[in-house]
Amino acid sequence: MNDRGPRARPSSRLSASLVAVTAMFAATSCAAIGEAMDSPPESQYTQAEAYAPLEAAVADMVEVLPDFPGFERRLWRELACSHNGVDDPEYTNVELVYEFSVEDSATELVRERYVDALREHWTSLGYEITQDQRQELASGRVDRDLSADREDGVHLWYSAWGLVAVTVQSGCVPVSDHSDIEYIPPTGGIEPGGEGDLVGDYFPDGIPTDQAAAVDPFAATRAASGPVPFESPDSYEGQI
Amino acid sequence: MSDMSWKDLRDLDCARVRSLGESWKSYVPDMIEQTERLRNDVIGGHLSVEHFESDTATQVREHIDLSTGRFEDDLSDYADIRVATTLLEAADALEAEQRELEEVVGLIEAHDFVIEGDRHRYDVNFSGALHQAIWTTDPPEWLCHRIGIEKPQGLDVADRLRALGNGIDLAWEASCVAREYQDWLRAVMSRAHDADDDAAAALAAMRESPPELPPQLGATYDDLIDDYRTALSEAVAAEMEAIANGGSDMSPEQVNQWWESLTDAEREALIAEHPGWVGPTDGIPVDARDTANRAVLDTRIESLDDRIAAIESQMAQMEAYGSGDGAYGGKSHAELQAELIRLQEDRELLGDLSDQVTDGNGNPAVYGGTGQSYYLLGFDTEGEGRAVVSIGNPDTAANVNAYVPGTGAKLDDVDGGLMTRAETMAYDAYRKAPDPGQETATVLWIGYDAPDNAMPFRDGAGLDVEAMDARYAEDAAEDLSSFTQGLRATSERDAAELTLTGHSYGTTVIGIAAATDGVDADNLILVASPGTGVATADALGVGAENVWATTNSQDVIQYTTVHGTDPASESFGANVFESESVGRNPISNHSVYWDDSNKDAGRNTMALIVTGQRG
Repeated sequence: MNDRGPRARPSSRLSASLVAVTAMFAATSCAAIGEAMDSPPESQYTQAEAYAPLEAAVADMVEVLPDFPGFERRLWRELACSHNGVDDPEYTNVELVYEFSVEDSATELVRERYVDALREHWTSLGYEITQDQRQELASGRVDRDLSADREDGVHLWYSAWGLVAVTVQSGCVPVSDHSDIEYIPPTGGIEPGGEGDLVGDYFPDGIPTDQAAAVDPFAATRAASGPVPFESPDSYEGQI
Repeated sequence: MSDMSWKDLRDLDCARVRSLGESWKSYVPDMIEQTERLRNDVIGGHLSVEHFESDTATQVREHIDLSTGRFEDDLSDYADIRVATTLLEAADALEAEQRELEEVVGLIEAHDFVIEGDRHRYDVNFSGALHQAIWTTDPPEWLCHRIGIEKPQGLDVADRLRALGNGIDLAWEASCVAREYQDWLRAVMSRAHDADDDAAAALAAMRESPPELPPQLGATYDDLIDDYRTALSEAVAAEMEAIANGGSDMSPEQVNQWWESLTDAEREALIAEHPGWVGPTDGIPVDARDTANRAVLDTRIESLDDRIAAIESQMAQMEAYGSGDGAYGGKSHAELQAELIRLQEDRELLGDLSDQVTDGNGNPAVYGGTGQSYYLLGFDTEGEGRAVVSIGNPDTAANVNAYVPGTGAKLDDVDGGLMTRAETMAYDAYRKAPDPGQETATVLWIGYDAPDNAMPFRDGAGLDVEAMDARYAEDAAEDLSSFTQGLRATSERDAAELTLTGHSYGTTVIGIAAATDGVDADNLILVASPGTGVATADALGVGAENVWATTNSQDVIQYTTVHGTDPASESFGANVFESESVGRNPISNHSVYWDDSNKDAGRNTMALIVTGQRG
C-alpha cells in the first residue's frame, strides 16, 4: 500500500464551536489585560547607559580570544520588549552585534577554539552558561551556540553560524531619547565611523568619530567578574 | 469555466500539449533568422546606401525595416509569448496535477471509496463494498488498524460481535479518511481547472487585437508614417494598461516575456509615464516595480499635501468670515473637517511607508542588519491599506521568503511590528546561510484585506469574529498565487528557493491559495495556524514533505482551528517543528514566534528551511 495512505486519527471536525472559541477569547483577553497592568521589571541601566557596559563586555571577550583576526561589522539594534504579548514602548532590549568576516567565519579558530575559550572565560567569571549546543546541518556544517547571563541582566551569546558573531544584549531597559545616546567607538579592530561601524542610525548628523578618538571609551569600565554586577557610574558625562 | 473531469485530466496527453508548445517556441528563432537576413542582406546589402541613394530608396529601406520589426513583434507577442508559453505553462501545470491525481485516485480506489458528484465539487464516498464490509462485521484491515482493533478472523462469533459494536467508530473513521481524499481531490481539480481556464483565456484573448502594419509606400506615406510610429508607442502603453487592469489574461511569466521584449526606451517610457500600471504588476522585474512604486508614492504624497493645504486654507477662510459653508467642493465646514482628517490619515500612512523605504537623502533605505535595500513592490491606501515591501531584491537573491501576516495586518504595520518580524527573518537567514554571503530576500506581503479581529465584538446584530471567516483568504488567493508566479518569472536564478511563511490567519491565506489557485513555492511554513482550509498537507500542491508547521504549547490557536485540520497535528501530515512558549498566557503566546525567546528553536528551523538547508 502507498506510504501516503491514511494516517492516525484525523481531527477534521471543527475543533471548537463558535461559542467555545469566543468564550475562550473573551476569557483569555481579560486575563491578558489584567496581566498587562503589571509593572515592568526593574533594570540596572537606561538605554543610554547600557551601551558602555555592553561594549565593555565585547572588549572583555576580545581580550581572551587568541590570535584575534578582528571583526568586520558592528551593529547596534533594538529588540522589542513585550509584556503579555504587548510591546511596551517604554522599554527596549539593546543589542550589540559584532560579526567576523566571511573568511574568518570559516576558520576552525573562530568556529571552534573561540567557543572553548569563551566557555572557559565565562565559567571562570562565574557567569551562568545558559546554552552550549552544536547542530550539524545537512550540508555538514556544524553550527555552535554558547550563551551566558550575567547578574546585571546582560546576556552574552557567541554564535558560530554561516557568519560567526558575538551578540550582547542588555535585557529590557527604559527607552532613552536617541539624542541622549553617546557614541562609543567599536572594539575588535573596527574603524570608528568606518564601513563596518553600522551605528549611523543613532547619529543622523554623522558619527562623532573625533570625539571618540580623543577619549578612551573604556576608561571607566571593566568586565563584570563573578557575582559582582557591573557598576555603572552615576553619569557618563565627560567620560565618553 | 473549465469542464474538465477527473477522468479527462487522468487521460490527458500532456506530452502532446508540451510538444506543440515547443514547436511554436522553435518556430520563432527560425523566423527571426529570416528577418535578420532581410535587415543584413537586403537593407544592409543589395538595397544599401552604397547601391541606391535617393529619397525613395531611403523610404523603401525604412519601410522594410518597419515591416520586419512589426513581424518580429508579432512573432514575439503571439507565437512566443501567447501561444508557446501558454501551451508550455498549461502542460507543466496539468502534468503536475495529473501526478497528484494519479496518487489520490490510487488511494481512493485502494481503500474502496468512489468518486461521485459534480466535476467542480467531487465527493468521495464509501463504495457499496466498503459499506457492506463495515456493517457485515468484515471491515478492511487498514480501517481496523486505524481505530486500533484486530480484524475479525474467520467465523469467530465473539470477534464478529466486537466488530459490530465498533461499527459506528469504523464508519466515522472511514468517513474521515474519505474527507481527506475528497479535500485533496478537490484541490487538485481546482488547480487543474484554474490552469485550463488561464490557458483558454490567454489563447482567446489573442484574437482581439489584430496588428497594424506600416502604411503602404506612396504619396501619403510621409503623412501617415508619424501616425504609425505614434500608434506603435500607444499600442505598448495600451498593452501595459490591459495587463495592469487584468484585461490581457497573460500569466506573470508571459508578462515578463512581454516586458523583456520591449526596448529599453519603451520600458523607461512606461515607468516614467505610467508608473501606476508598472508598479503593482507581477511579472515585471523588481527594480522596475520599485522605481515605479516610489514615483507613485511621491506623487500621492505631494497630491495629499496639496489637498490638505487647500482644505486648511478654505477652512481658515470660512472661520475668518464666520461662515459654515464654503466654495470648496460645495462642502460645509464639518464635511471639510471630516475630509481633512481622512486625508491626514492617508498622508501619515504614506509618509511612514516612505520613511521605511527611503533614507534621509532620498535614496532607498538599507536594513542595517543585513545591508540589504528595501524594495517597494506595491501599496494601496484603500480600505485599511496594503503594502508589499521586500528586504533585498528577490530577483537576484538565492532564496526568497515571503511572509504573510494574519489578523489585523494593514498598511499601518509596514513600519512596525510586522516589518520587525520580516527583518528578524532576514537577519536569521543572512546569518544562517549555507554559504556566508548567499542572499535571502524577505518580503512582507500585506497584499490582502486581512480580518480586523479575532476577538468577538458586537457589531449591530451580534457577534462578529472576522478571523473565523475564510472569505478574506479566498479573496487573497489569486493575488498571492500571482505574486509567487511573478517572483519565479522575474528571478534571475533558475533555482531560487522560494518559501511562503504564514502566521495565524496568514497561514489560512497561504493554504487556500495553494489548494485552489496553486502557489509556486518550494516550502510552506505555517506558524500558529488556525487551519489552511484542507484536511492534509498533500492537498496543498507542493508535496507534504515541503510543508512545515509549528505551534507552541501555550498558544491559544491550538484550540481554535476553525479552518480545517490543525497543521501541527499528526493527521495533517506536515513536518512539525518546535517553537518556544513564554509563560502561560495563551494570547501572548500567539505572538512570540519571532521573539528572542524562540531564536534557538523555531527561528533557527525557519532560517534553515528558508535557506534550503532542511528537507
